[in-house]
Amino acid sequence: MNGRSNLTPALLAAPSLVVYAGALLLPLGGVLLLSLHGFDFEKGILPGWGLENYRDLLTDSLFAESLLRTLRIALWTTAICLLVGVPEAWIIYRMAPRWRGAMLLIVVGPLLVSVVVRNFGWMVLLGTTGLVNQVLTILGVPGAPFRLMFTELAVVIGLVHVMVPLVVLSVWASLGRLDPVLERAAFSLGASRLTVFRRVVLPNVMPGIMAGALMVFCLSASAFATPAMLGGKRLKVVSSMTYNEFLNTLNWPLGAALATLLMVAILTATLIWTRFVETRAMRRLGEVAEGGKGGSRA
Amino acid sequence: MAAPHFLTLDRIGKDYGAFTAIREVSFSVAPGEFLGLLGPSGCGKTTTLQMIAGFEAPSRGRITMDGRDLTTVPAAKRGIGLVFQSYALFPHMTAAENVAFGLEMRRVSKAERIKRVAEALDLVHLAHLADRFPRQMSGGQQQRVALARALVIEPRLLLLDEPLSNLDAKLREEMQVELRELQRRIGVTTILVTHDQSEAMALCDRVAIMQGGRIVQIDAPWRAYDVPADDFVADFLGRSNRLPACAGGGQAEAGGHRFALPPDLADRQGDILLTIRPERLRIGNDGAAGLGGRVQSRLFLGGFWLYAVETALGSFAVMLQNTGSVPHDEGAPVTLDWDAHSLRRLERA
Repeated sequence: MNGRSNLTPALLAAPSLVVYAGALLLPLGGVLLLSLHGFDFEKGILPGWGLENYRDLLTDSLFAESLLRTLRIALWTTAICLLVGVPEAWIIYRMAPRWRGAMLLIVVGPLLVSVVVRNFGWMVLLGTTGLVNQVLTILGVPGAPFRLMFTELAVVIGLVHVMVPLVVLSVWASLGRLDPVLERAAFSLGASRLTVFRRVVLPNVMPGIMAGALMVFCLSASAFATPAMLGGKRLKVVSSMTYNEFLNTLNWPLGAALATLLMVAILTATLIWTRFVETRAMRRLGEVAEGGKGGSRA
Repeated sequence: MAAPHFLTLDRIGKDYGAFTAIREVSFSVAPGEFLGLLGPSGCGKTTTLQMIAGFEAPSRGRITMDGRDLTTVPAAKRGIGLVFQSYALFPHMTAAENVAFGLEMRRVSKAERIKRVAEALDLVHLAHLADRFPRQMSGGQQQRVALARALVIEPRLLLLDEPLSNLDAKLREEMQVELRELQRRIGVTTILVTHDQSEAMALCDRVAIMQGGRIVQIDAPWRAYDVPADDFVADFLGRSNRLPACAGGGQAEAGGHRFALPPDLADRQGDILLTIRPERLRIGNDGAAGLGGRVQSRLFLGGFWLYAVETALGSFAVMLQNTGSVPHDEGAPVTLDWDAHSLRRLERA
């Protein structure tokens, strides 16, 4: 009797554990093991074990450069997405209900378009003879046409385009839990529109902003197609280096080591973010989300 | 204050497209007065409050406060304290921070702020919970914080939007007493919006009973209760029994019982619809003079007995004080009796 009730939670969790183990831990473990093998262009993957791949990468200035570039692109993308997405969600939230649905659909739009099509679109726009440069030239902007394609700027633009919806949607979810009367309460106490947003709305949607930022950062840091298409061959990021090792050089162990290092870098950044930024902000707000679920405001 | 009327609503109206929420509302509030806006949901009382607060603009008419036209003044500049039904405390701020918010907006110095916040929390007996977050407080405590937050800015007018309706019955009674006492002590002009007639009657100096976007009667609670302007008010404020009768010669006859009419109705002739409050009826034993009937049911309410007496004219609610005497049994034949001055004639709406 007692034994059975103790087992019940474990049994109930078993299916999801199997999925996690099978679909996540097993492949990850495989990649990790692969990264410990050596490689020879004549003999292929060597049977021995060792950390040479990691030693080679960590002393390689090309890897350091592309890792920094990866993180830089992800940070810029996250920052711009927040600057655009948070006010966007707020504006849509304040719209008349009949407009909201249409606006949300437009916001989600970029997610509905294939990544290849979307990036080709940007290539057309950003090329030396593309629309952006044509307009800049006509306007007589000094220095135009600029070299836009195959720059970090192009990559950031492409990523922001597809990532903004993630911020909008997660902030939107937080706004839904916000009691609209709070704004009126703040107005009645003499707050201006801006103050209401800064002091009342923003703190209460912080959980959504944090979650959105984390999603955008992780996805941008591991993005492959956009950096590859808009950044070109010379502007390497870690994921495109990994691709290269696996499919062009065929040095699978080195590719696996690259993939592992990228994952460690993203995990580290995430942990630092959660520990120092999110925890601090959540200390006061954590239970706000809880209140939204539990209904202390109901 | 020299002005005899502190706040005046002059023929205020509000339309939402083709729908008219407020047809025409006019009233004045004296300085320090506690006025209740009372009515069923959809009567326009909340819309009226929103217009005074500045969240809705009236479609017609003028609102003046202290001689100044408020119509174009934004909500943030009106200096009106508001307590909402849901309290609307800022969930990410402690009780003290909530109360301090309005003072920060007014650029009150930090030292002064701390002092006034402490005073305001003291006023609502919550000084010991200053550092709690709203979610860590009970409904009654949150209500008090909301009150302190509205009062700390020393508002010229306090608006209460169904402030007690989320509290349980016992707490609500306690808060009623406290709110009344507090309002008296501070002397702030107050408008209470409620659908609860007993709350309005308990708290307010005057009640304005609203129906269908207009004020039906504005009077002291006991006046409105005893001399309702019409059928609607009579029904809305407490219960009343209807007594259709036939009048003639200063008397009336109903269900085989002849009784005297009050002096103001003495010259009536023919059919007349009278009403009488449950607490004005007396129950006599079978055979005594009065309207014959039978006890249908009885409820013991502690201080009172609430009887339903079935008569030829329908069911009558009777409220008798519990004086310790033996109650009438259910099913027992009884008679109903009353004093002539307890009768009111109903205006048909």
